[in-house]
Amino acid sequence: MSGRARVRARGRARSPSPADAPSPTSVDISASEASSTGDFAGTSRISQTHGVSPGDARCPFIQRGGKGRRDFMDLDVCTREKLAHVRDCKTGSSGVPVKLVTNLFNLDLPQDWQLYQYHVTYVPDLESRRLRIALLYSHRELSNKAKAFDGVILFLTQKLEEKVTELSSETHRGGTVKMTITLTRELPASSSVCIQVFNIIFRKILKKLAMYQIGRNFYKPSEPVEIPQHKLSLWPGFAISVSRFESRLLFTADVSYKILRNETVLEFMTDLRQETTMSCFTQTCEKRLLGLIVLTRFLAFPRYNNKTYRIDDIDWSVKPTHTFQKQDGTEITYVDYYKQQYDITLSDLNQPVLVSLLKTKRNDNTEPRVAHLIPELCFLTGLTCQATSDFRLMKAVAEETRLSPLGRQQRLARLADDIQRNKDARFELETWGLHFGCQVSLTGRVLPSEKILMQDHICQPASAADWSKDMRNCKILSAQSLNKWLILCSNRAEYVTENFLHCLRRVGSCMGFNVDYPKIIKAQENPAAFFSAVQKHVDPDVQLVMCILPSNQKNYYDTIKNYLNSFCPVPSQCVLTRTLNKQGMMMSVATKIAMQMACKLGGELWAVEIPLKSLMVVGIDAYKDEVSKGMVVVGFVASINPGITRWFSRCILQRTATDVADCLKVFMTGALNKWYKHNHGLPARIIVYRNGVGDGQLKTLIEYEVPQLLSSVTEASANTSSKLSVIVVRKKCTLRFCMEMNRSLQNPPLGTVVDSEATRPDWYDFYLISQAACRGTVNPTYYNVIYDDNGLKPDHMQRLTFKLCHLYYNWPGLISIPAPCQYAHKLTFLVAQSIHKEPSLELANSLFYL
Amino acid sequence: RNLILFQRSTVPRKNVIEFRPPLYKQRYFFVKDIVNQYKPKKVADLGCGNATLLCMLKFHSCVQELVGVDLLMDRLLDWNSDKLSPSIGDHLGPRDLDLSIVLYRGSAVEKDSRLLGFDLITCIELIEHLDSEDLAKFPEVVFGYFSPGMVVISTPNSDFNPLFPASTFRNSDHKFEWNQTQFQHWASNVAKLYSYTVEFTGVGVPPPWAKHVGYCTQIGIFKKKQPDPGSWILAKPTGSRVSEPEEHAYQVIDPRKILHAHKWCQSWSTVFTASFPSLQQKHFLLFVLCTEVLKEVEAIRQKYVWIMKRKESSEPESEEDTDSGLVRRPGLFLTDAQVAQIEKSPKPYSVGKRFYVPLKRLIGYPKVNRLVADVSTLRTLLAEGIPMRLNRAHTSVQIDLDPYDYPHDYR
Repeated sequence: MSGRARVRARGRARSPSPADAPSPTSVDISASEASSTGDFAGTSRISQTHGVSPGDARCPFIQRGGKGRRDFMDLDVCTREKLAHVRDCKTGSSGVPVKLVTNLFNLDLPQDWQLYQYHVTYVPDLESRRLRIALLYSHRELSNKAKAFDGVILFLTQKLEEKVTELSSETHRGGTVKMTITLTRELPASSSVCIQVFNIIFRKILKKLAMYQIGRNFYKPSEPVEIPQHKLSLWPGFAISVSRFESRLLFTADVSYKILRNETVLEFMTDLRQETTMSCFTQTCEKRLLGLIVLTRFLAFPRYNNKTYRIDDIDWSVKPTHTFQKQDGTEITYVDYYKQQYDITLSDLNQPVLVSLLKTKRNDNTEPRVAHLIPELCFLTGLTCQATSDFRLMKAVAEETRLSPLGRQQRLARLADDIQRNKDARFELETWGLHFGCQVSLTGRVLPSEKILMQDHICQPASAADWSKDMRNCKILSAQSLNKWLILCSNRAEYVTENFLHCLRRVGSCMGFNVDYPKIIKAQENPAAFFSAVQKHVDPDVQLVMCILPSNQKNYYDTIKNYLNSFCPVPSQCVLTRTLNKQGMMMSVATKIAMQMACKLGGELWAVEIPLKSLMVVGIDAYKDEVSKGMVVVGFVASINPGITRWFSRCILQRTATDVADCLKVFMTGALNKWYKHNHGLPARIIVYRNGVGDGQLKTLIEYEVPQLLSSVTEASANTSSKLSVIVVRKKCTLRFCMEMNRSLQNPPLGTVVDSEATRPDWYDFYLISQAACRGTVNPTYYNVIYDDNGLKPDHMQRLTFKLCHLYYNWPGLISIPAPCQYAHKLTFLVAQSIHKEPSLELANSLFYL
Repeated sequence: RNLILFQRSTVPRKNVIEFRPPLYKQRYFFVKDIVNQYKPKKVADLGCGNATLLCMLKFHSCVQELVGVDLLMDRLLDWNSDKLSPSIGDHLGPRDLDLSIVLYRGSAVEKDSRLLGFDLITCIELIEHLDSEDLAKFPEVVFGYFSPGMVVISTPNSDFNPLFPASTFRNSDHKFEWNQTQFQHWASNVAKLYSYTVEFTGVGVPPPWAKHVGYCTQIGIFKKKQPDPGSWILAKPTGSRVSEPEEHAYQVIDPRKILHAHKWCQSWSTVFTASFPSLQQKHFLLFVLCTEVLKEVEAIRQKYVWIMKRKESSEPESEEDTDSGLVRRPGLFLTDAQVAQIEKSPKPYSVGKRFYVPLKRLIGYPKVNRLVADVSTLRTLLAEGIPMRLNRAHTSVQIDLDPYDYPHDYR
């Protein structure tokens, strides 16, 4: 398997991992959302006053702004207290201890540290948040205190003398404003509100270190990595956060890169005009540009203090020489305006105008305001689909951003040094009473390696990362013999196809997969001819269709997959002619394709030892559809035999804005029925791995998805129902672990588990490193058990999870997440990218999407 | 621009006057116009308040040094510092010339040698906040000591005040509000004493029925008299004025003052500094140049391949296939002279799978030419920025003829 397939196998293709780089440094590829400018991102205000309440209620920052703000850190979710068996101890025991260095730093506070929350009102009331802040800050009583203020809520570390303090100030225009500062809460350092305040403080500190906030991360423009051949600048930076870990407050920093493009929208448009014909230019242009985030040095119209904008429309009828109305009612041309305001001369007087809808902060029904932007003055941000599929570009980005554990450690050390040395940063920390401490080391465990069970052979692979060599000449567990099948190829590819077929039959017989001679159909080299050949020759009796595609054009693949997955459900295998032309690679290519084909026919390749006798594992993933925006593809893959080698796969397209699944009850019931049919009973235990959960969605998951699964499970049987566990899987976490060895740093060995210190006290969670990273730093996978009836020991839960990472049939080695999750991902990826339709139920019993 | 809107309110006899744009904006736009007209390099704003004027002036390409001075500085700085600092866009599309912005906390009537040698000093709505003692010191400090090429002073015109409902001062902190005669008298005396010329104008046009009251805000524009009257601004190297006291032609030179200046008195404290990325800084120049060159080469390649394909398919020759067809393309704005010059230069060519554009040709493109003047500088910079993209002789930039020629895979 070469580059691209490997990426799919090991990592999620939607993550920006470039080819053969299992784990590069996290790269913030997504176009940035409008960056927040103030200390507090939300600026809407609450009007109700708070009474003094001791203890810790939900943070007011989160509640404000209606749906806008999310609790990104899931601070108020406490699942562990409901799980009796892990209340006292959630750590495992097996394996060899290993000492690990983390990217966590200690944050020390004085013993009696407290935060005082005040509510501030103004008479007369002031709309302007700036004015509110300016008036309060100008007061001597507050000027030397550590404070955070968003215009309504004020936090101080020192208590004011009075519970209610009255201040008055004069405004510019001579009026007097009375401010009333009322104490509402006293918060201990452990409260979630304090965590938020600490995060605000550190955001301030990183700004003081001359970093720019883009999205939620901070980037340093003074040391850019530049890739001029791709018109890219990479800004190094950090994703930072402060959170309460197992026993203490810790600061996390992970190296991140922001991709910025040195290309204006106008340049993008002129390039495009050269590529396309005039007639479809506007269409293509809109297709490529709408939805992208652009960045500009200048203010747009109407003046709106925002530096990033989303392109919502392109107004082709407006030219820079046209006039617009300024706020004061006067008319001016865009050209003159930019000359006057910004001393800028526009070069292209025929460019259209970009239109961006401005987000209104208040939730009233006023008409949305629009901003007009000049393409010449807007820089593109993030990468387009075209760019991410550009192999060279991604390789160049990966080469620049991939950091070894040692390189990463050096970056972190420098950040820590900067924070401690910078005068302003130190001052900020000191006024709050915070002390930035040393880097945290902890002890993890390396789980014992697993044996791979083949049909007549048990092998202990030399390397768990790749056991393809170990299973050479071993028979796979089971395979249906392939008797009636088709190969579709172009005339030119006839010779290589014959060659390949020969190899395929040879390796097939070695692994116990009988491949008969197929019917070979030749077609013209165009997508339409291929498609009509498929339509003409495929009937439901055909076991499998193989297409030798002449090119990588998406049309070929999409139309064929679409037809064979939903209209005429037959397993299909697409191979590029180019792949078959590779010299000396034929045998290994044939081996891998033979295994894929065996799986697509419902075969089983290998197994691991599963000590639980009646266990069903389920993987769930959600993926946004590429074509129809607003559609989410939810994939559900469940094992249907105790050996966990056979799978039942379902998929649905649902119309929601969030990634929360709607249809789990139906899927779960379907899977239980299948299990019942094959095993004449229900599984004793069900463990669900849920992937594709975003920040701040934990609560919704617990309240919405878990009940769906539970109701299906309880309804399935009147007497004893199966026991259910739900585990949230996250591939993207900011935590990193390194192992010190020979005075250098290395990635920890496969199977390393961390279940103490870097975990959260309120959760039953652990980290597991189950994939190999030959270059770069490995990204641990984070597991959070949010529901658990099974009551398995934490050790068993960890080991079972590790075992499941061995069972992905598209890759003979360990992968970063449990196999059912990866299957569910592969399925949703295929549907979202190519089919855009639910695959036929007839295929549900095989891994048709591999 | 100075359009004003008169609204006759429902209450008879009283006319509510409202300016559009608001008067403060009109004052700032007035300064912007001055800057556009005279292109000063170093500009200072005394009494800069929340630095709004500086935020507007930072976009002017001629300005290389911006200073703001105010007594109360910190309170509004917390967020305005964001607006005065270079933005992400400033990093991606650097200015041509350096720009530094410095804010000081201090009084406009204290001497500070860091304000010597400026081209323009503005005092917008400042003098009316000075008490009589400070007002007396003001001319000596600003005109005598700082002695910039130009001073712009604005202050309320009390002749206008009867048109407002309340007949007191416009702001409770105002120590005085002058009528037109008072201001012009003061200004003329100051100008005479420090050998400046002064002209009077203003913003906020009075309503038609009260033309006689004059502008709502009166403005004096002071220009320093020079031996050579034609080049009174930007004519001499800035910063050297301290050592050239003889410039003050009609003035009795006080030797103590010069001594004082040489001591570099610094009475203000620095509150904020920012330095903007610009093409004068080598790494920005290098990056912008390399990006521009590669963009240009890529665009030429596309056109080249397109023409080659047309020739292969032996379509009838059109104007597009000529040399100027290779040069011209949408989005590239060239004069006929530029086209002719590029056509004369060595042509792009391809050898095998590589495509080459000679540096001598690239230098003809305005976007490249804007950044470097000659081929040898271009060569040196490219050799430093993108050495892999130069051919062995360092005479051409090379890229792949077909950049999309790379392997794919099966699924």
